Amino acid sequence: MQQVKEKSRRDSNVAAIVTFIGLVVLLMVIALVNAPTQGGPRVMASVSSYLAAVKASALPYLAVIALASIVLGGVAARIVRREWPDRRRRSALIAGYAFMAPYLLITLTFTVGVVLFALYISFTKYDIFTAPTWVGVQNYLKAFAGFTDPSQTLFLQSLYNVFWYALIVVPLQTAAAIVLAILLNAPMRLKQFFRTIFYAPSVTSSVVITLIFIWFYLKTGYINFFFSNVLGVFGIHWQAVAWLGDPRGLIELIVNAFGGKIAYAQWYLKGPSIAWMAIMFQNIFTTAPTFMIMFLAALQDVNPTLYEAASIDGASAWQRFWKITLPLLRPIMLLVVTLGTIGTLQVFDQVYLATAGGPLGTTETPVYQVFVNALGTGGQIQMGYASALAFIVAIIIFFFTFLQRRFIERGTEVY
Amino acid sequence: MAATVQEAAIQPHALPKEHQRPASSYVKQFVRYLILSAVGLVLFIPFILAAIGTFKTDSEIIVYPPAFFPAQWLVQNWVKVWTTDLGQGGTFPRWLFNTAFLAVSVAVLQSLFGSMAAFSFSRLKFPGRNAVFNFMLATMMIPGAVTMIPAYVLMTKLHLLNTYWSLILPGAVGAGSIFMLTQFFKAVPRDLEEAAVIDGATYFQVYRNVILPLARPALLTVFILQFQGMWNAFLSPLLYLNSPSMWVLNVALSIFQQTYKAAWNLILVGAMFNAIPILLLFFFFSKYYMEGVAYTGVKG
Repeated sequence: MQQVKEKSRRDSNVAAIVTFIGLVVLLMVIALVNAPTQGGPRVMASVSSYLAAVKASALPYLAVIALASIVLGGVAARIVRREWPDRRRRSALIAGYAFMAPYLLITLTFTVGVVLFALYISFTKYDIFTAPTWVGVQNYLKAFAGFTDPSQTLFLQSLYNVFWYALIVVPLQTAAAIVLAILLNAPMRLKQFFRTIFYAPSVTSSVVITLIFIWFYLKTGYINFFFSNVLGVFGIHWQAVAWLGDPRGLIELIVNAFGGKIAYAQWYLKGPSIAWMAIMFQNIFTTAPTFMIMFLAALQDVNPTLYEAASIDGASAWQRFWKITLPLLRPIMLLVVTLGTIGTLQVFDQVYLATAGGPLGTTETPVYQVFVNALGTGGQIQMGYASALAFIVAIIIFFFTFLQRRFIERGTEVY
Repeated sequence: MAATVQEAAIQPHALPKEHQRPASSYVKQFVRYLILSAVGLVLFIPFILAAIGTFKTDSEIIVYPPAFFPAQWLVQNWVKVWTTDLGQGGTFPRWLFNTAFLAVSVAVLQSLFGSMAAFSFSRLKFPGRNAVFNFMLATMMIPGAVTMIPAYVLMTKLHLLNTYWSLILPGAVGAGSIFMLTQFFKAVPRDLEEAAVIDGATYFQVYRNVILPLARPALLTVFILQFQGMWNAFLSPLLYLNSPSMWVLNVALSIFQQTYKAAWNLILVGAMFNAIPILLLFFFFSKYYMEGVAYTGVKG
């Protein structure tokens, strides 16, 4: 008996030590692969040349990670030591992590490791081909340099653009999605058919839709054709617009209509440009059907007796919508508005294909800026600066998600 | 399950209807179908116009005012695009294969690894499980813009640029599909697997022989969502696959746009090659597809 106990304790200790070493080694390998070193084909040619590069620039980084790995390894070892003697708990532990292993390995390498790397290089000057050099918060300051230096306003302008984008696109696409869902929720024949048709713009890739819309938006395209014909019925002459090339802003147009003018330097007063609004329209067109499905699912969960009771009490269809349907859709609305905001703050595909940030930077977006600076398509490669921009975007997204959660959840308490 | 949902959907509207006069109800029905058809037309017309545009001549496609139908239906455009050769192995069939291969690989791996992780999260009890689950939810908050650059650097380090691995490896697992499968597995009754455990089945046997067969609809949903996500992906293939023989359709299309400039008839053919397979897939599997979107709100 004593011997069995002794052996079991020894086994537990061995298992704990193996866990500790295994985990620390594994995490260190992942950290090593993601270490901030110079890149390029020459350094990456062999393992030894890579290790030399790591030694040159990434030792402090690895030391911090090593500390964290040792803590994590210690925790894991303690758990293993505690669970090991019980056969059932031991097998649950092993099976549990074995089933998660592919997920954990890939996420640790391609998400966690990569994010830590990005965080580090956002404080450095880094062009891949030389080792990153520490510059502190300079990249973050540079992003906002436009406040004092009028020649550096590109990132500020991109933020200004996406704020307009979110402000206009999110409410409109949410409203459109609710209307579409309610249209489809009624009992009808051909329901499946209509649902499929409605949903088609959301299934195809944004590249396809954007290309079709660029064609529509041509000066000789269908959009101008449509306006010209519809307005022609009322005898109004329609001057064809080059939609994606027009930098005039919404507020600017209104001011112009009253005979005023906004100077070029005051881009922040102009509002979203015509080009930008054209992209917004296309975005609403493709995303509304996605969110429609979510509202449709929520509508089907609404308890029918609520409507019965309301109509017996003499509520009109309009009242039933405002007093029953809409309040019940609130949780889904929270989700849709949050997902919508996250999506709109990260517009990229449409800008890359349709406008490349122009005209006059009025369709510039933060993610497009990240892309341009990271690849150096607009000059030199500035990976560090691009990473800093990406983190600023991430912080803004976290902030808005948090804000919306509080704001909309407080609204639900009434019901 | 489906039947009860449908009944619930019909009832609220069906009941008050009995009190209405039949004449007005017919008018109402008519107006409803009119509105539905009009909205459907607006939402689908880009595809119709683009599809017709693929048969127009170079000048017809950009002439003003645009004619709805071409004077002559040119099938050559399709042939011309299909036989495009941009050199270095950049041909249309190749891009189609790349896209399909990547989409299938990612979808299969996400279903496999996702169901494994979900099994662990929903069926096994062990220390650290909830911590890992919360960690996973937290990673869902990380925007793609943050991981995009460092992942590119990592791919260069691992010599994976311009290989299928650069998209398959990071795409093989996804917090979204694991989350969805976990929710699904939690709803599966435990009686069956308890019987299996009493019979001495291992965890792997329970996963393989009990859970997986029951989870087939959920797995199909994950497969379709991920297939579509990869098929429609643009930014990551644009970053990682930049030699003509490795392009996916979306990247090739963006290059098309730069090479063909005003030849919109050809660009639209390319767009159709991209859109038709995914639309067909959706028409056949729309039920699973919609369930998936409704379930998690995660769309590729």
